[in-house]
Amino acid sequence: MKAVVVAVAILALAAPAAAQVDFSGEWAPRFWEDQPERVPGPELGDYLGIPISDAARLRGDTWDAAIQTQPEWQCRPHSADYIWRGPSNLRISKEVDPVSREITAFHAEWLRSVDRTVYLDGRPRPPSDALHTWAGFSTARWIGDILEVTVTHLKEGYLRRNGLPRSDKATEKEYWIRNGDYLTVASIVHDPVYLTEPFIRTTDYELDLHQQVPPYPCSVVQETDRARGVVPHFLPGSNPFLTEFATRHGLRLEASRGGAATMYPDFRRGPAAAPPARAAGPGAAAPAPAPAAAIQILPVRGNIYVLLGAGGNITVSAGRDGVLLVDAGTPQMADAVLAAVRRLQDGLDLQVPPPGFAAETRSSVADRHVEPPAKPIRYIINTHVHPDHTGGNETLRRAGRTFTGGNVAGTIADAAQGAAILAHEKVLNRMTGPGSGGPAAPFDALPTETYYTSGMKLSHFFNGEGIQLRHQPAAHSDGDTIVYFRGSDVIAAGDVYLTTSYPIVDVERGGTIDGVIDSLNGILDLAIPEFRTEGGTLVIPGHGRISDSADVAYYRDMVTIIRDRIQAMVGKGMTLEQVKAARPTSDYDPRYGATAGPWTTDMFVEAVYRTVGQRATTSW
Amino acid sequence: MLRRGPASGVIIGLVLLSGTPSAFAQARGRQGGPPSPRAAAPVDLTGTWVSVVTEDWRWRMRTPPKGDVTSVPLTEAALKVANAWDPARDAAAGEQCRGYGAPAVMRLPGRLRIGWENDTTLKVETEAGTQTRLFQFVRPQTSGKPSWQGTSIANWEIAGGRRGRGAPRGGSLHVVTANLRPGYLRKNGVPYSASVQLTEYFNVVTDETTSDSWLIVTTIVEDPLYLSVPRYVTSSHFKRDDSNAWTPTPCEAE
Repeated sequence: MKAVVVAVAILALAAPAAAQVDFSGEWAPRFWEDQPERVPGPELGDYLGIPISDAARLRGDTWDAAIQTQPEWQCRPHSADYIWRGPSNLRISKEVDPVSREITAFHAEWLRSVDRTVYLDGRPRPPSDALHTWAGFSTARWIGDILEVTVTHLKEGYLRRNGLPRSDKATEKEYWIRNGDYLTVASIVHDPVYLTEPFIRTTDYELDLHQQVPPYPCSVVQETDRARGVVPHFLPGSNPFLTEFATRHGLRLEASRGGAATMYPDFRRGPAAAPPARAAGPGAAAPAPAPAAAIQILPVRGNIYVLLGAGGNITVSAGRDGVLLVDAGTPQMADAVLAAVRRLQDGLDLQVPPPGFAAETRSSVADRHVEPPAKPIRYIINTHVHPDHTGGNETLRRAGRTFTGGNVAGTIADAAQGAAILAHEKVLNRMTGPGSGGPAAPFDALPTETYYTSGMKLSHFFNGEGIQLRHQPAAHSDGDTIVYFRGSDVIAAGDVYLTTSYPIVDVERGGTIDGVIDSLNGILDLAIPEFRTEGGTLVIPGHGRISDSADVAYYRDMVTIIRDRIQAMVGKGMTLEQVKAARPTSDYDPRYGATAGPWTTDMFVEAVYRTVGQRATTSW
Repeated sequence: MLRRGPASGVIIGLVLLSGTPSAFAQARGRQGGPPSPRAAAPVDLTGTWVSVVTEDWRWRMRTPPKGDVTSVPLTEAALKVANAWDPARDAAAGEQCRGYGAPAVMRLPGRLRIGWENDTTLKVETEAGTQTRLFQFVRPQTSGKPSWQGTSIANWEIAGGRRGRGAPRGGSLHVVTANLRPGYLRKNGVPYSASVQLTEYFNVVTDETTSDSWLIVTTIVEDPLYLSVPRYVTSSHFKRDDSNAWTPTPCEAE
């Protein structure tokens, strides 16, 4: 009897705190559903059964497969939500905590995929403005024996690989279900941009002990002779292939056009019989917005951080040489920016090792009770003239310091006062001249060092790396600068690249749409991804989230396609009102458009209309 | 024959204990006996569910063309049958329900209505073909004649392998069906034979993003005559209280 009691006690202890099913192993896909779509791939114009929005449909209709030959897309992997449907074996491995012996993470990898980590250790989700990736950020919890996975921070991907897009605002729920040697994964995608209802798909795998997932390195090659900046696409209404799918398979054309109604059984009695639409669900699980006066600090890489919430983004290099800021935010946020910089400086000081002097000359004992002085703000670089990027100049400059000496200090009495402000000459001209569009800026807000050529370099390393300033003529404005941190491999793009809206083309201050596109292509020329068009060179937009070359390429594609559409309309002699009425941006409006606020879709269309064809090539 | 060691009694006791669903403690019958399958259900499958056809659209939302056997691992014998499909002949023979048998019906577009027939039998009604499936948790004495829906034996699979204390933390329904009349995996004559065996898993998940409940049904069909390997597909349905929309339709051969 005693033995039984002990054994029962052992059993009770062995019961897991939460159900844990082992998904690790080698899983072979079975193509007993949607086989032609998965291998070799979907046909053009096949939108059957997908609850797409009108915007998604237009994206699909204007998609040209030749876009895959672009260097940015040749090595693009399937995203987390699509990879399950890809023609690939799957390997799942697990991480186990050595103390609790609980599973803390699963790793899933496929042919042509990036590593997909699913965390079960309770870690928090990154801020919404952190980098988005192909695999996204996945956390999971057990619901009985089912693993429920939540995926956020996805890059733009596709719902079907014939041009139907899935936006970077989408989130995904996955349910991993193991039935013996069978693995079923149900994926539910929520996309407020391109779906009108949740999109569920299931995929089945079978355990295969003899399987290997081979490596699949990918090299970008020049696949076709194409001029720089050309983005293959069809103008709306010009794709001749869209009806081939329905015709070939004897389908009603309206069915092949997709939409929520087509996925319900009642569709067979006609679209009107379909049940009423359901909500698509919220998009990315964005953290609660920060209080208005708060500045969020996001590490980028090495010494580089970005401050969010100050108006425009502020890229910061903070280290032993001091602080360099790319842009200064609005004047209202300048004090908060200063406080954020101070927090960064404090954190850095804590990591500084004590000086290596002998005890009798420099006591390190007393020093430990006194907070060392912060390294000063030494440089502010203005990417352009707008007050959400230059408004904090005066406050931040005064809080900083310039190290100088010799005859400079002797001749110029205030040479050491305040940080230096660097900008293209046209920024200074516009802040002081009649083109400023407002009252003249205070003297301390003005750039102290300007350049008028294609670029300039900081004359020495700063915080361990070289820093280059590159002029972007006639882009967002006529005085744009892109700042390249060569060691960290980070580009502060200013407002030539945004993730929050269509490009803001300040026509009154010399901006042009072609200059914006040229700048975006210049960034792509400079950027090198770490692996499969992801990571590597990081790009800080003027507004929005941290990006990489893939994000910039998506944006470049979008801007180029819209430019091409409007250019074609201009070529036909259409008036501005006619162009606006034709809605050349409608497939991108749910992602980038606005009907109110400082930069509406109409304003963007007008800016493109007025400046298209005014090329101003950057010398990269 | 293995000789039982001295610890075997303890082991048997442990197996019994570990195999006892924790629901027993909570859902014990009034007379102290084991709870009924209905009372012990670790997951609620009841309600009206609408199939969502986001996969295999061309082969589900209409009767595919004759000879289109895409995605099905058929044997040569099966291909001959598929290529000889004649819906008029089926209709004339009163066999228009061949495409609505248990191996196919969960994949057909339409609503499902799931409820308890009694404490040991779960009933699944389908709009498609107006079929009724009975999942019996107590094995019947006799199976009767083969039918379109066959004889289905069900059991609950308790999450955590029935270990642990307290209420069950979820689970799924496991159903094995045999005693089936030969029929079609797809309405265009892709066949299964009388030797077919069907294994199904019914899972329910709730997506908190929209509060939708989803019924995920994995169907594994094994047929030594007409399938070269087991075929398994998963079909999705979401819960919708629209019983007014319940529109059962008769079997159609074409």
